[in-house]
Amino acid sequence: MKKLVLSWVLMMALVSTLFAQTRQVTGKVTSSEDGSGMPGVSVSAKGSAKGTSTAADGTYKIVVADGVSLVFSFVGFNSQTVSVGSRSVIDVQLQADNQQLSEVVVVGYGTKKRQEFTGAASTVKAATIAERPVQSFSQGLTGQAAGVNITQPNGLLNNPPVIRVRGLSSLSLSSFPLVVIDGIPISTDNVSANSTTNNPLADINPSDIESIDVLKDAASAAIYGSRAGAGVLLITTKRGKTGKAKVSIDSWAGISEAVRLPDVLNAQQYMNHKNGAIANALAMNPNAISASQRNAENKSFLPNYNPDGSLIDTDWYKEVYQTAVSQNHNLTINGGTDKTNYYFSAGYSDQDGFLRSNSFQRRSGRFNMDHQATKWLKLTANFNYSNTFNKAPMSGSNSGGAFNTSGLGRIAVAQVPNLPAYLPDGSYNLENNTLGRMNNLLPAQFPNPAVVRDLDKITSENTRLIANLGAEFRLMEGLTAKTSYSWDRRNTENIRFFNPYNGDGWSAGGDAYNNTARSDNWNWINTLQYNLTLAEKHNFSVIAGSDVQKTRVLNWGAQRQTLADYFFTDFQGNFGTNLAAGNGIYQVAYEAYLGSFSYNYAGKYFLSANYRRDGNSALSSENRWGDFGGASLGWTVSEEKFFKDLNLGNKITNLRLKASYGKVGNGNVPNAYGSYSTFGSGLYGAAPTLAFNQAGNKDLKWETSAQTNVGLDISFLNDRIQVEANYYYKDINNLILNVPQAPSKGIPGNSILANVGSMYNKGYELAVTATPINNNGFVWTTNLNFATNENMVTSLVDDNTPILTATSGLEVTSITKVGYSAAQVYGVKTGGVNPENGRRIFIKKDGTKVQYSHLGGALAWTTLDGKATTSPSDQQQILGNTLPTFYGGFNNTLRYKGFDLGLNFTFSGGNYIYNGSQAGLRDQRVWNNSVDVLNSWKTPGQVTEIPKAVYGDNVSNGSSFLIDANLQKGDFLRLQTATLGYKIPTNLTSIGISNIRVYAQANNLWLLTAYTGVDPEISSNGDSNLASGIERNSIPQGRSFTFGINIGL
Amino acid sequence: MKLFTNKIGILSIALAMTVSSCNKEFLNAVPELDLSDATVFNTPARVLSQVNGLYGSAKNGSLFGGRYLIYNDIRGEDWVNRTTNSVTGYSTYQGNQDPSDSYLAGFWIQGYLTINRANLFLEGLAANPNAVSSTLAANYRGEAKFLRALTYFSLVQYFAKPYIMDKGASAGLPLRLKGSVSSADNDMPRSTVAQVYAQILQDLNDAETELPDSYGTALLNTTRAHKNAAIALKTRVKLAMGDFAGVITESNKIVSATAPFKSSARVAHALQSDVSAVFKAPYTTTESIFSFPMDATNAPGTQNQLGYYFNAGNVEYYLNTGSIGIYSNPQFAATDDRKTKLTVATTSVAKFPSSTKFSGVSPYVDYVPNIRYAEVLLNLAEAEAEAGSLTRAIALLKAVHGRSDASYVFPALDTKADVIKAILTERRIEFLAEGFRANDVTRRGDPMVSFGAGATIQPSDPRYIYGIPLVEVQTNPSIGK
Repeated sequence: MKKLVLSWVLMMALVSTLFAQTRQVTGKVTSSEDGSGMPGVSVSAKGSAKGTSTAADGTYKIVVADGVSLVFSFVGFNSQTVSVGSRSVIDVQLQADNQQLSEVVVVGYGTKKRQEFTGAASTVKAATIAERPVQSFSQGLTGQAAGVNITQPNGLLNNPPVIRVRGLSSLSLSSFPLVVIDGIPISTDNVSANSTTNNPLADINPSDIESIDVLKDAASAAIYGSRAGAGVLLITTKRGKTGKAKVSIDSWAGISEAVRLPDVLNAQQYMNHKNGAIANALAMNPNAISASQRNAENKSFLPNYNPDGSLIDTDWYKEVYQTAVSQNHNLTINGGTDKTNYYFSAGYSDQDGFLRSNSFQRRSGRFNMDHQATKWLKLTANFNYSNTFNKAPMSGSNSGGAFNTSGLGRIAVAQVPNLPAYLPDGSYNLENNTLGRMNNLLPAQFPNPAVVRDLDKITSENTRLIANLGAEFRLMEGLTAKTSYSWDRRNTENIRFFNPYNGDGWSAGGDAYNNTARSDNWNWINTLQYNLTLAEKHNFSVIAGSDVQKTRVLNWGAQRQTLADYFFTDFQGNFGTNLAAGNGIYQVAYEAYLGSFSYNYAGKYFLSANYRRDGNSALSSENRWGDFGGASLGWTVSEEKFFKDLNLGNKITNLRLKASYGKVGNGNVPNAYGSYSTFGSGLYGAAPTLAFNQAGNKDLKWETSAQTNVGLDISFLNDRIQVEANYYYKDINNLILNVPQAPSKGIPGNSILANVGSMYNKGYELAVTATPINNNGFVWTTNLNFATNENMVTSLVDDNTPILTATSGLEVTSITKVGYSAAQVYGVKTGGVNPENGRRIFIKKDGTKVQYSHLGGALAWTTLDGKATTSPSDQQQILGNTLPTFYGGFNNTLRYKGFDLGLNFTFSGGNYIYNGSQAGLRDQRVWNNSVDVLNSWKTPGQVTEIPKAVYGDNVSNGSSFLIDANLQKGDFLRLQTATLGYKIPTNLTSIGISNIRVYAQANNLWLLTAYTGVDPEISSNGDSNLASGIERNSIPQGRSFTFGINIGL
Repeated sequence: MKLFTNKIGILSIALAMTVSSCNKEFLNAVPELDLSDATVFNTPARVLSQVNGLYGSAKNGSLFGGRYLIYNDIRGEDWVNRTTNSVTGYSTYQGNQDPSDSYLAGFWIQGYLTINRANLFLEGLAANPNAVSSTLAANYRGEAKFLRALTYFSLVQYFAKPYIMDKGASAGLPLRLKGSVSSADNDMPRSTVAQVYAQILQDLNDAETELPDSYGTALLNTTRAHKNAAIALKTRVKLAMGDFAGVITESNKIVSATAPFKSSARVAHALQSDVSAVFKAPYTTTESIFSFPMDATNAPGTQNQLGYYFNAGNVEYYLNTGSIGIYSNPQFAATDDRKTKLTVATTSVAKFPSSTKFSGVSPYVDYVPNIRYAEVLLNLAEAEAEAGSLTRAIALLKAVHGRSDASYVFPALDTKADVIKAILTERRIEFLAEGFRANDVTRRGDPMVSFGAGATIQPSDPRYIYGIPLVEVQTNPSIGK
């Protein structure tokens, strides 16, 4: 075939030469994006009416006069003009037009051309996200948009990421942006009722997403007034494109593994170290270890041997972690006529975690359709059905789970290494609720991870329908009415079975807890839009509408304990005790009326304003309505005559100034009924009870955020370099806080929701998009985005009453105080280890140095000269900020011929992380330790950072109360993804394939950081505003390698 | 066409209007599973439920349903920690407890929650005079005051210097007697220990007047306070104040002059012939003056259960068989029922002796005793020995001991000191695992022999009592003043 074409071309060329006045030119037009042939490209002779367009494979032929130039043009690509000369074959590669300004921005209730848009928004094209081994699109946004900071809490599959748009938006309310999918706001919190993580955003197949628009300032977001305080993520799914049906098949498969696991003591090191610590302890307190728990030599940890005589030395990482395999497949068909377009997709994802027994599966189908029924009626329908299945063992890595006794993240490092997981007969090594101690005389403290991993069953499964029906009526020229009804129905089934042998089910003799949640969420939006252009230059647009939403969630469940027979491994088996558990009903309703007005004059001056009145059922009835709105101005300087007269030519192609101000609310009140004082019903023995269980606040009102944005768009060298810069200031007032109450008042939960605080975020954002090289088919495009953020709490209940927050309810780690950014690490300062006696030195607030001697009795705490003093545990000070002060991404794409290479870096810094896991790794109880403890103090004069090891000491290492020795800087630079793709050039049209691309991708390939914990991107407290930047017993992040293929038919 | 689109226009505007006129109820979302505070006095049944709610609050596993008792026992010399778990009291056991400890704070938090609920109930009852009959209203007031007194007394024992050391002149507790429902009044200094005791006694005197003589069932006589319960609690309070005459006066209301000691007033309290019967279902003998009931659907909660700590649940602590522990004390003979029937040499969990008073494992439904008739007898014995009749003191001591080990012959009980020592030893035997040990030491101002700390903690040592929890210090600036 190819040969045939070639000879035909040659022959035609010959013919044209013979005739000499006209010339037949042939060739192929390809796209610089992927090298594929581009159909429908207009090819015309300059200065003549002659023209044609390329065929489906991108080839063309045209007969032109000698010496003319051919112009190749296509929407979305830069036109190219090529002089024919004497050539008869001209192949052209068109460059995608990287002028972002020509694109549209999806904003509330509609779209706007970017050149008319005067707010601050970033658009992320979702194509690259779909290729990443992530569970939800939200995880893939890292480093993609300026001012959007994403933290993946750890490597647990489908753990919801922490997303912050322009810093922290609230303290007690969610700082997670509002997520709107094709018009309907959907819930974003983890919906698992057990220790699995179930991010409902994973119900959306990332492959179905066309683009994600992040609305960052109030002027853009105010149209979503009630819940836009934290920014808005607008997700637009793919729709059918007019033309014959196109099929694409996208698949990837890959492996992942845990990285940066700490080095812990092996069996021999462990026995030596712990027995040494016991000797030190007995010297202080003869009862430190009871006589029955040590041998005649005062040793409690004794060697154990395998049947072959070798020392048992267990690598617990092997029991807990694995190299995991994942795969993901998508099939889409889209097409349409001039009246009807359709998009259909089916997706399947099956991902295993590097944490054993951790997996994620999604099966999804989507059908989107647009139909122009009549000239005045257009119908839109979206239908998405999905099932996601999350499975995870107790990992200690879900928010709130850091101190779970059977959390595998901690057990993997802390379990006793001279004990085996299995006995020689293959059975589990067990003793009560822990690993069997064998020859050791002190019991282990944690369960056998192999049992927890194998026999517990913990899952959370969503079955979800998101459907949407919209109609657009053209009532008259310029006037359209739109109505859109969306229904988001989610059933979540949470299953938890704790085995009776070891772990959380041991005490109860087996424990099963099932819960099901039914969330019914509907949203109805009606708008009326009028567009008018007067005198060709005055463009008006007015929108009025209403938006109502109601979400009702019903939970029911039960807990069953004490298995009748260990034969049963399910909730449905027979148990002795049956309890009600996991029951709840709540609902939230929103009602809003909105109006928006925009005007521009000749594409030069832009003005827009919007207003919205919002009601929220979660606020008190007197205060539930709030008024919000914003306004913005824009001036496209480059459209001015004077600018054009400057004749900067293509040096500065575009220059635009913009400013906006607006006020939005934050309606994500954590308690749907916070304004009510209530009594809860319970039991006393078998008698029913009523007890005061919530002090409500009848004055609860809107938390508001006043946001200012000033920005500049400028592009150089024919848009080859584009810069967008913004300054933002978010002033948040009437913060709704769980105001701490003196416990002696006996207020349930010791807190009352009230509007008491204020804070601000300010900073700069810079996004530079450039094409540094575009030469001989070699193209390098790059995007650098960089943002700064300064968060400052300006008022709380009062200046002296900070908010203290505990990690997983146990360890007070964080403080939010006026005059500081939120969620500072709060603990006691230390001054190293006293070389004289090996004791940790602590520094009180007044600067006094005191030292700790574990089991020292009345002399446990002494001044450096040996006088008894009190514990410094209440001498906490603010130690460091946990919110990054700068962050961003550096994304590069390099193309040459069929090859493409993507290198995406992310970076973040200026923050501290409390490495609480390190405290655990240096704890002198039965837990295994980091190899750091080999440097523990042993002889007078020894200078070391590890105190003398005294068995049982949990103070010197920082387990008992937080110390600054476990505080570290969190700056990092990561190679987030590296992708190498190749488009197979072979022409496969004969077998019906239009293109094939294969790629290999590495995620988290390289990390530069001084942080010594598992990962500087960590959040053991999940999405918490008040306790960010804490690492406590979490599993690490993974590194993954995937191979993928995209096939177009 | 034009006409048609106009119709559609009208239609769509009508649609928009429908939405706009969304009825006012649309934004009304009221709790569907909790009752509004405005409705809790609407029916007599709800008022009764509130009374039971006060008991339920006090019996929470973090307070009298478990941990309050456990932390009393493990500070002493009779128990050895097995699991080195700070979640199950290890640091308190070792004398390393700190005001930041969340479980110590739990006593304070749950205690004051109970007090506030009692305060609110008393106010609500006054504001709704017709909610129940005046008789029932008086009974309910008595119950609320009884629980408020029990809670204040238990907290002041833990968090303040013992009354006996300076007649209560030291800083005690913030004395909160008004219901709290708002953000106001975080600031409140500590009243003196004496002021707290005065309030406790006032509540108990009121309760004695207001409470019913008895209830219709043995279950209610055990799990709800009646007059004798208030009197019995007063003997405990007055003993801690060193008001021995007062103890004798109160005790005599419910203890006969001579053996066999029993109550002839109202509920006929008496020692059970077999001590182990007290700790077995249905847990409602007349010896149990006041106990907290447990049920599979109303259990103490994870790591709060007495049976989890002291028995096969998880043997967090086992009996100290060493010379300082009560297990090897000569007064606790091998023939003693309390050893033969209420301890075992080994359990399935550990090869150490454990108490089997709380023998049930999951779901841990053993009732948790709070006041037993045996305590009243020993309170009275101690008071008689201190300031009354040594003869009656010895008779009371022997009544309690003899019930479990009739063959035991006490060594010379000639002096007051001998008798008091024997009574105090008897308390360790009789109330082992019932949460008396540390309070019995501190109420007398004696040095505390802590096995966990490997030391004897003197009353002057800051470890002798618990510090005010950090959470209170952080939110109530006056607490330190």
